[in-house]
Order: sequence, then structure tokens, then C-alpha cells
Amino acid sequence: MSVPALDVSGVSKDFGRIIALRGVTFSVQAGEFVSILGRNGAGKTTLLNVVSGISRPSEGSVRLFGTDPGDRENKAKLAVISHEMFLYGNLTAVENLQYYSRVYNISDAAARIDAVLQNVELTHRRFDLVATYSRGMTQRLTIARALLHQPSLLLLDEPFTGLDQHAIGMLITLLLKQKEMGRTILLTTHDLHTAAELSDRYLVISKHKIVRDGIMSDTTPDQIRETFFSSEAGDGNS
Amino acid sequence: MMRTALAILKKDMRMEFRSKDSILAMWIFSLLIFVIFNFTFEVSRLVMLEIAPGLLWVAFVFSGMFGLNQSFAIEKENGNLRAMALMPVDGGEIYIGKFLSVTLIMLMFEALIFPIFIIFYDLQLSMGMFRLIPVLLAGTIGFTSLGTILSAVAVHTRNQQVLLSLLLWPLVTPIIIWSVTLTGMVIDGEVTQSFYPLLLRVGAFDVIFFTLSYMLFDFILED
Repeated sequence: MSVPALDVSGVSKDFGRIIALRGVTFSVQAGEFVSILGRNGAGKTTLLNVVSGISRPSEGSVRLFGTDPGDRENKAKLAVISHEMFLYGNLTAVENLQYYSRVYNISDAAARIDAVLQNVELTHRRFDLVATYSRGMTQRLTIARALLHQPSLLLLDEPFTGLDQHAIGMLITLLLKQKEMGRTILLTTHDLHTAAELSDRYLVISKHKIVRDGIMSDTTPDQIRETFFSSEAGDGNS
Repeated sequence: MMRTALAILKKDMRMEFRSKDSILAMWIFSLLIFVIFNFTFEVSRLVMLEIAPGLLWVAFVFSGMFGLNQSFAIEKENGNLRAMALMPVDGGEIYIGKFLSVTLIMLMFEALIFPIFIIFYDLQLSMGMFRLIPVLLAGTIGFTSLGTILSAVAVHTRNQQVLLSLLLWPLVTPIIIWSVTLTGMVIDGEVTQSFYPLLLRVGAFDVIFFTLSYMLFDFILED
């Protein structure tokens, strides 16, 4: 069997007395689209931080493509999209993307920048300062920035937050396209319907641990919701 | 190796020239210091010459604090500090980029404020004044090499400016004192035998601060 794209084994994370994750174990195969569902504060963002190598687990281990997530090679294969922009408001879209192109050592930068801007329909605003963009446009540029270096693994942390319907639709289309291209995608959300539309598999995280790991096609959003609420009511022992 | 550092430098310079946030604030602050000291205290030219090097460095370092705070404030905004932690590069490269941009902004500011300092304190320009160039370079590099990493530490906290001051001042004070002494020697035209050993000592501290910061920066970027 091939090495999983992501292997999380017995990961716990605490910040002093605050527990963020407890014994989280799961793996994601290359090309899989997995949604992590859970309430605010359940530990979803911490899990993505640990997976991306920004944060070290207090216990357990994370392997990305068989090696440490902090490895340079792994970081080059990774992209994170969250409600944070990772963009500079005082630079134009092109300047932001040029900056990331240099950092990620993209050889055909100009062509890549044109392509990603076209994908997110921002070509007409490419020379405007990002500070003048609407929330939806900023998020589209965030996506362009993330796809610029053609990552193998996409980590999406509540990417739909604050977006209008048009932007949500565009993001869903883009994500489906990435899925078709065989990219591995890990999405955290509390929107069950969007997760059901996009994912192959889902994990429910409640009270800092995984309480359900299921195949999306075998489950309805209502069944997931039921799992979700029962685990919340069950004092986290499920 | 230097690709990322240069990308960060270019990005920071572009943003600074566009907004002029740091340089303008630093320049106004320094001008205020010079005006207050020049017109408030009625002292003889001799006394003024005695205190002038200290005043110059007060202006440099207090304004420099603003530049340091600003340097990582723009990274904290929109989660860019997190984006830096995700970059496929060593933290050291990111450190060099930020260090270069802070140092360059500070040197540009020094170049802009120094002529005003000369006018205010009626200093005589001579060829010997060129000795100030290595003094300003060494003192500034010492200040910014340490200030860059401590600014990255402080930016994670709520009291960023207070913490940066608390961490930076005790460590950077020897460099500032020696730089004031060296500047005094140049301005007075009394460059003694101790000038170069002292300059070398500042340079040695620069190397130590820079090397340690370069090696430790990876840990700063982690959560």
C-alpha cells in the first residue's frame, strides 16, 4: 500500500492547562477530499496547524507524505487557505503573487500568475491594491495565492467564512476542480451541506477528539448532524 | 539561499515607499527631539557639542523602535506571520529578509535626519566626518539585528511595544553607549587610539547578535 498523504497518530496538543486535541488518529490517502466537521473551539484549527507543521504536537506524531511536516519539501507541497488572507493590503494582486512566486521559486511565474488570476476572475483588478478589494475578492485572491505553486495537499480552514453566495459558488467549483486534478484536500467546516457536496470522507471532531470517521456517500447530512449532537451531549465519551 | 530574503526585502521596501509609514514617523519624531533640545535648553555651544552625540543616538534608537514595531506589525496583519511559518524556507532566510529591510529603512532615515542634525547643532563638516559612516553602520546593525528577532517575539503578545522595549534595551545598551562614544570622538575631531578597537567591539557584538538571531529564528515562527 502506498504511503498516505497524511498520517496523524495519537496527536494531543495542549497550551498549558488548555487542551486543544486529545489522541487524534486518522490518515488521508493521496487524492482524497476529507472534511473535518465540528463546532467552534472543537480543535479543528489546531489540528490543521499541527498538520501544517506550524505547531508541534504535545504528544503523537504527524507524517506528511511519509516525512516530517516541517520539512522544506513538504512545505512546498502544502497550501493553507483560511479566513486569514496571507496577503498584503498595501500591495496589488500581482505584487502579492510575485512575492509568493519568488518565495516558492516558481519558474514560470508570470504565466502562473496570469492563470490563477484568470481562474478566480480577478484579471481585471490585478493592478489594484488588495486593500481596496471586497471580502469575496480578497478570498478569491487568497485561493489564487494558495494554488500558485500547485500544491499536492490543500488545507482549508473554514474558507467559506464571510463569503457571499457567488464567492462560495466559485470556491466550490474551484475545489471540485482541484479534486478532479487529484489533489489531496482537508477541509474544516461546520457547514454540513457544503462538506457533503465536496467530500469523499468526513471526520467529526468533538471535545478535541475524533468521534466519527465515515464515508460521505454512505451518510446523509442529517445522520452526521445526529452524530455531532450526540457526541456533544455525551460529555465527549463517545 | 538569499532568494526569499531578497523577496521579503523587495516587498517591504515597496510597501514602505508606497505608504512611507515608518520613515515619515521616524523623521518627524527625530525632528521633534532636535527642536526640543535645541530651543528649550540654553546651553553653551561646548555643552551642546558634548550632548549632541547622545541626542543623535536617542533620535536614532527611539525612532528605530517605531520601525521595528512596524516591521512585524505588517506581518501580523492578515496572518502573514503564519504564511511565513508555512514557507518552504529556513527561518534564518526570513530573518535576513526582515533584518535587511529594517536596517535599510533605518539607514535611509539616518541619512535623511543627519543633515538636519548638522544644521541644528551647527557642526563643522570635515573629511573626518566620514568616519561616522562605519560608526552609524555598526551601531545600526547591532540595534536592528537584535531588534528584528525581538520584534518577532513581541508581535505575538498584546503589549508588543512594551515587551519589545523591555527585551531590547538591556541587551542593546552597550552597543548604543559605545556608538555614542565613537560618534562623540568623530564630531569632536578627537579620534583617539581607542576608536578602532571600540568600533571593532561593536562589530563583534553585531556578528554575535546576528548569528544567534539567524539560528534561533525558526523557533520564533513556531506556535
